[in-house]
Amino acid sequence: MSAKLLKAFAGIILCAVGITSAQGHNDVAPLPPPYAGHYQPEGRDEVGLWQLDDENERRLANAPILIRDEALTDYVHEILCRTVGDDRCGSIRTYIIREPTFNATMSPNGTMRVFSGLLLRMRSEAELAAILGHEFGHFEKRHSLNGFRSRRRGTDILAWSALLVSAAPSQQGFRNHQNLELSVYGELFSYKRNQEREADLLGLGYLNASEYRPQSASEVWTNLMGEIEASARVRGKRKPNFKRVAFTASHPPQGERAAYLKALADPQGYNRDDGALRYREMLAPFLSLFLEDQVRHNDFGATQYILNSLGDLGWNADLYFAQGEMYRSRGNQRDFANAIESFEAALELDSTMAAAYRGLGLCLIRAGDRSRGREALKSYLELAPEAEDSAMILMMIG
Amino acid sequence: MTNYAKFFLSLALALFVTPPAQAHKLREQGVDFSVAKSSLTVTPTRDWNRLNGRRGKRTERWTLDGPQLNDVTFFGGVEGGTSLFKGRGQQKDALPKFERSMLLIDIPTLLDSTYRVTRGMRSFDILDIEPQPFLGAEGVGFSYQMIASNGATLRGEARAVILDGELFMITYEAPRLFYFETYLSDFQKLLDSARIG
Repeated sequence: MSAKLLKAFAGIILCAVGITSAQGHNDVAPLPPPYAGHYQPEGRDEVGLWQLDDENERRLANAPILIRDEALTDYVHEILCRTVGDDRCGSIRTYIIREPTFNATMSPNGTMRVFSGLLLRMRSEAELAAILGHEFGHFEKRHSLNGFRSRRRGTDILAWSALLVSAAPSQQGFRNHQNLELSVYGELFSYKRNQEREADLLGLGYLNASEYRPQSASEVWTNLMGEIEASARVRGKRKPNFKRVAFTASHPPQGERAAYLKALADPQGYNRDDGALRYREMLAPFLSLFLEDQVRHNDFGATQYILNSLGDLGWNADLYFAQGEMYRSRGNQRDFANAIESFEAALELDSTMAAAYRGLGLCLIRAGDRSRGREALKSYLELAPEAEDSAMILMMIG
Repeated sequence: MTNYAKFFLSLALALFVTPPAQAHKLREQGVDFSVAKSSLTVTPTRDWNRLNGRRGKRTERWTLDGPQLNDVTFFGGVEGGTSLFKGRGQQKDALPKFERSMLLIDIPTLLDSTYRVTRGMRSFDILDIEPQPFLGAEGVGFSYQMIASNGATLRGEARAVILDGELFMITYEAPRLFYFETYLSDFQKLLDSARIG
């Protein structure tokens, strides 16, 4: 196959797979199109996808990793409704999952999965709204279905190409097939990234039209870049490149997303409320659990960044306690002094926090101050006599 | 045969003949076995299977029906400044390390953090921690429950001790439903047989 023919072939494939340019040409992201009513699946592919998804949702509803808190789930769902409108959000079910990573997913039948790690990292309702709006954008544009079809088209082409090459084997034919593989796979990843850009644009469109401050969308990514950089710095790694697009990247790079979301946010919405205080208040009962999950993942730099970011609105006992646990779990001798200071700060704000006495006592003992350590552990047992480790602590008190 | 020929012959044998030591292996009842390349020794009261492959430098895994149904892991003298498991790729940076200065009460948290990083456990709840003698010294016994990334709920039981700054531990994990209770007594017999030397 000549190079010319190969180019023509690749061109056909690119058209077949389809490219959706998500970059808007206006100054701000356009408003969402009028709502077309409850969507129902059409055609064999989509009906099949929805059936699979219905089954997954049934399993999800009984999964032990689901956080079954009605107030929190309703609150997150309400933020989605305020972002995309009551009519649109009626077709979505929201689930909160205990998974300490920055993520949320949307599946074809309208199942929204929001990870606890995302809730921990968001600093306001507007930031969460930006992510929820993006995920809803995937649903509205039926990205799962289109993605499935593009993958099927791409792999069909490769299967036919492999068949033709094996029917008339030649060095050149094999090389052409390899080039075609690269083109198709590259295009499939690029297609996925364009879907993400389109969902970003649509999500920002919802945010521009909502009561929330649209500039928050860009801040989510700026904040995430800060966290990734902090994590790499503490681990002695090279500073990550936030503009590089890897061949297999499924999402656009964070730097690019932050830039276009900032440029396309409606400037008139700058002074709108972002709901930071309400968000902090609603998340308060879950903060200690989400922070514990984060600390246990042993990413010191990221945890420190998240704590400082949450602390911008004021440090509370939960934040100080998590900071103490972060230092304690790293466990260098120099960390104990910081951990002790953090636990003491937590106790100043909440003198009934048993776990802070426990952390304080264990750190003091490891730092060599046994008598003060024992005193702190005694206070822990007074506050939590039924604790699961009470026998162990009693032995340490002596 | 020249030395070169001997060398290449032995290299070829090493490459092409599967050494039986690398395969899963039966651990018959009543026989003493030294585990995890260490002085930790156990005498099983029923037949167990030793699994091939190591999660950590100083670990060894045994099972009855397969590691997803009952998994006993021996940690034979983890040194200070090293992690319990080896970890892959980016996990290596996040793996918590055992420190000589650690207290016995810190061991469950070390296991918790190691599992979250390497096995993607979503939660790890300590159900009970008690001082318990192990390998002739004052150790710690603890039980726990965790939710795996596939949504399964697992129960675990462990005994650990720090001897000369090295961590010795035996853990038993199985699905909470049916398997954990069913084989718990077999694990406890194995645990009771553990000794150094």
